[in-house]
Amino acid sequence: MPKADHLQGALELLILKALLRGKNSGYAIATLIEQASDDVLRVEEGSLYPALHRLTEAGLLKAEWRISESGRRARFYELTSGGRKRLAETEERWKSVTAAVAKVLRTV
Amino acid sequence: MGFWSRLKRIFRAEQYNSEIEEELQYHLAMKQQDGYDPRAARVQFGSLAKFKEEARSEGVLPWLESGLRDVRYALRQMRKAPLFTVLLVLSLALGIGANTAIFSLVDAALLEPLPVPAPQSLRIVAWVNHGFPEELCRLLTGYAKGDRHRMVGSPVAVRIYRELARQQYGFASLIGFSDSEMAAVALRDRPAEQFRIQYVSPNFFAGLRAPLQLGRPFSVSEDREGQPPLIILSNRFWRKEFAGRPDVLGQVLRVNNVPVQIVGVARAGFFGLQIGEWVDLYAPLAADAVLNPQAKLNPDFSHTDRHWWVSMMARPKAGVSQNQAIQALAVLFQRLVVPPGLKIEADKIPKLMAIPGQHGVDPIRPDESRALWIVFLLVGLILLIVCANVANLLLSRAVTRQRESAVCLALGAARHRLFRQYLTESLLLASFGGVAGLFLSFLFANALHSLIRQDMGIGGFDLHINAQILGFTCLASLTTAVLCGVAPAWMLARASVHDALKASSRTVLTGRLRLPRLLVIAQVALSFTVLVAAGLLARSLANLRNVDVGFNRANLVYASVNPWSAGYQPEQVNGYVEGLRRGLAAIPGVLRVATVEERPLSGDRNATWVNIPGRPFSLADTALVNHVGDGFFETLGVPVIAGRTFSPADLNKNSDAVVVNELFACRFYGSRNPLGEQFGTGPHPTTRYRIIGVVQNSRHYSLREPDGPAIFWPYNAGSRPGWRVSFVLRTALSTGQLTHAFRQVARKTDPAVPVIAIETQTQLIDSRVRSERLLSIFATAFGTLAMVLSAIGLLGLFAYMVARRTNEIGVRMALGAGRGSIASMVLRDAFALLLAGVAAGIPGALWMGRILKHTLFHLSPTDPVIGLLTVAIMMCVAALSSWIPASRAARVDPMLALREE
Repeated sequence: MPKADHLQGALELLILKALLRGKNSGYAIATLIEQASDDVLRVEEGSLYPALHRLTEAGLLKAEWRISESGRRARFYELTSGGRKRLAETEERWKSVTAAVAKVLRTV
Repeated sequence: MGFWSRLKRIFRAEQYNSEIEEELQYHLAMKQQDGYDPRAARVQFGSLAKFKEEARSEGVLPWLESGLRDVRYALRQMRKAPLFTVLLVLSLALGIGANTAIFSLVDAALLEPLPVPAPQSLRIVAWVNHGFPEELCRLLTGYAKGDRHRMVGSPVAVRIYRELARQQYGFASLIGFSDSEMAAVALRDRPAEQFRIQYVSPNFFAGLRAPLQLGRPFSVSEDREGQPPLIILSNRFWRKEFAGRPDVLGQVLRVNNVPVQIVGVARAGFFGLQIGEWVDLYAPLAADAVLNPQAKLNPDFSHTDRHWWVSMMARPKAGVSQNQAIQALAVLFQRLVVPPGLKIEADKIPKLMAIPGQHGVDPIRPDESRALWIVFLLVGLILLIVCANVANLLLSRAVTRQRESAVCLALGAARHRLFRQYLTESLLLASFGGVAGLFLSFLFANALHSLIRQDMGIGGFDLHINAQILGFTCLASLTTAVLCGVAPAWMLARASVHDALKASSRTVLTGRLRLPRLLVIAQVALSFTVLVAAGLLARSLANLRNVDVGFNRANLVYASVNPWSAGYQPEQVNGYVEGLRRGLAAIPGVLRVATVEERPLSGDRNATWVNIPGRPFSLADTALVNHVGDGFFETLGVPVIAGRTFSPADLNKNSDAVVVNELFACRFYGSRNPLGEQFGTGPHPTTRYRIIGVVQNSRHYSLREPDGPAIFWPYNAGSRPGWRVSFVLRTALSTGQLTHAFRQVARKTDPAVPVIAIETQTQLIDSRVRSERLLSIFATAFGTLAMVLSAIGLLGLFAYMVARRTNEIGVRMALGAGRGSIASMVLRDAFALLLAGVAAGIPGALWMGRILKHTLFHLSPTDPVIGLLTVAIMMCVAALSSWIPASRAARVDPMLALREE
């Protein structure tokens, strides 16, 4: 199973995308990505949490402690306006890059 | 996240960690809930620690955080090896402390300018003349030096000074002041004590920009002859004698038995214009005529234009160059200095010039400043030895820690992080050493100060630790840290993981311990240099002290009183002196007593030109002169060669009898019999003296060279108004007993007369050689320190070497080597190192000898005895310090040693 962070910037993009629908915990983000990719992409905790902290420090995410559905305290992450902007940019770039790669793979 | 929250995060790492922990725990719990096998989940989860480390490295201030961690780690390392840490910090503290203390002294004595604002703009206004300006001036006291070819002096007559100060326009203000001198000062009803007084112009404090702390300066109208004398106290005197009370103004002191009113207190730290002397009291120039017994009793003596005693200092006005200012003053001076009616050639009038004055007048004596620089050099060598020692200790320790660092490297630690960790450790040690050193330097500096004040007789400096000195200490300790930290850190960081982990007995540092050995050799070489210097100085001092002075110096005491301070008149004073002399002679245990003007070897001297009839007058024919009472030569034990010495009958004013020494007789009379011959003094003699006796040569002025011709006149206290009266006593009593007895007799004779000084001949000689003594004391202290430090260095090296070679020693023993041969192997090694060090130290010692050449007395700078003696002492030290490791080597159990392998 390939790791999401093998592709540069991919993990951050996926995290931002996963949070587009609303605030969520780190675990829920990982599960969301794994399920959405039909378990093709596996998110390693060792990459996930540093990435979350990195994004928080860069001001793209906002973090707060809340009580989760299971009744435990968990840290929930949420997109900031900067995060939304970044998501739009990165998504655009990602699409054009993957399209270009796909084109190369098709033609060569 | 803002800067502060990041900073907070670093310092609240605990909370941050627990938050991460909780987040991860949540993750783990959710995973388990979703049906993951808890063990698998945990494995998959990976290293918690790794995550924490990564999460933390996200910070923008990682250097600060990792720096803090380095410091914490370093502190843990220090706690783990307390002896090592204590030794290291102690040697650093000793080195830095001694350096800072000596530097403060050098700074206060040589570098620091006068304690006034903008000292660099101060100028001493001086004149230069071809020889003594004898046509204009009869007597000179104050700042003057030079010889008969070129004489530079600052003093002028008091009237000339006042006119110059009034009429000049090139300087902001021209201040005038006398030499400072001792006076008998009585507070309230207490007995008089000696304090230093200086007569100054009204603009003295304003001109120096040193405003008074209390009260007011003298006004111009108060500085007039006939005005009641006033006084301004120094801050130190005020705090000591009046406990700093503000109601001191208006109170009355007695100075030389004259009541004076206090009008002001100088500001703190202001000690006057001469570094090394602290003036206690300031009085107006005019008060000299009332307070100074010499001036009071010789009215035609000090306030005429022919007595020059007022020195001058000034600051050029803004916008006026120094040359313009001095030229303008010179024109005035030329006009004022030549009395009307006197025909004098232009080139015989002194020329004015300006001398930089930021270090005050007559700064510290050249031989003393040389002594201070030599001390500074020696203490610098000590710091080098300390550095070598610290580096060695760090290095030896580094070797024992190489496995630790290899493990760190194997686990992926970056080499630069490791390098930084070790550098942090040595920086931390250096800062501990620096702080402890600063503390020690306060102690040392205070001890030095009291040593110099009490023992050396210098009035004292304003010695303090200032920012410059603090900077010097910091620089010294940082340099030490970098020098000592880099080498071991470099080696450790360079350590090959492979080699280090392969076998415990192998070392990364190449087998022969090249660097530590070199460091020990350097240490020995430096210690050798310092010890040779100490030996040379000690032996030179002994030579100087034991020089044959021509009389028996043991049990010889001088005591001085000043009857003039109590108001005696010239015709009364002889009666008092004779009464006191009788009283002293009656003290049981006093064998002989005589009066004398200048106490032999006290550093005071008078000289005159000799004019022998039939011999052309020459300025080169000089002789020392002294006035002595009857029984003087007998008291000293100076043998009479021919004729007789003075009888009481010779002591009256009209006597023409003189006694001369052998050198005088030889030089001026050759083989002729000098008895009964007559001679005069100066170019135009008015009086003829008749030689009644010849005494053996003895030293009265210089210890370093014979006095040359000397003349002794009969002593008559009444003809020396104002001067102290001294007695020389040959006694069987201890100094303490004699002091007590003398004070009793003096009190009985006249309680109003102050006792000025009671000193033994040995004390006088010691104060003559004070810079030599200062040097010798310091050099011996530093030599001992150097030796102790080198011993620590040797001990450290050999202890480590023996520990490292335990296996080898075990093999040797297993193969049949005896315990004796193992011990001697270590000792041989120690001596080889020592000799290498001594050989390396020889150029240093020779260089030291060259520096000391002018200070040494009757001793060659390459004296072989001292060299050999030093080597012998160092051999003993080396044997002692390598004895412990050697005996430990001999006790190695071969079985244990081999099993360890």
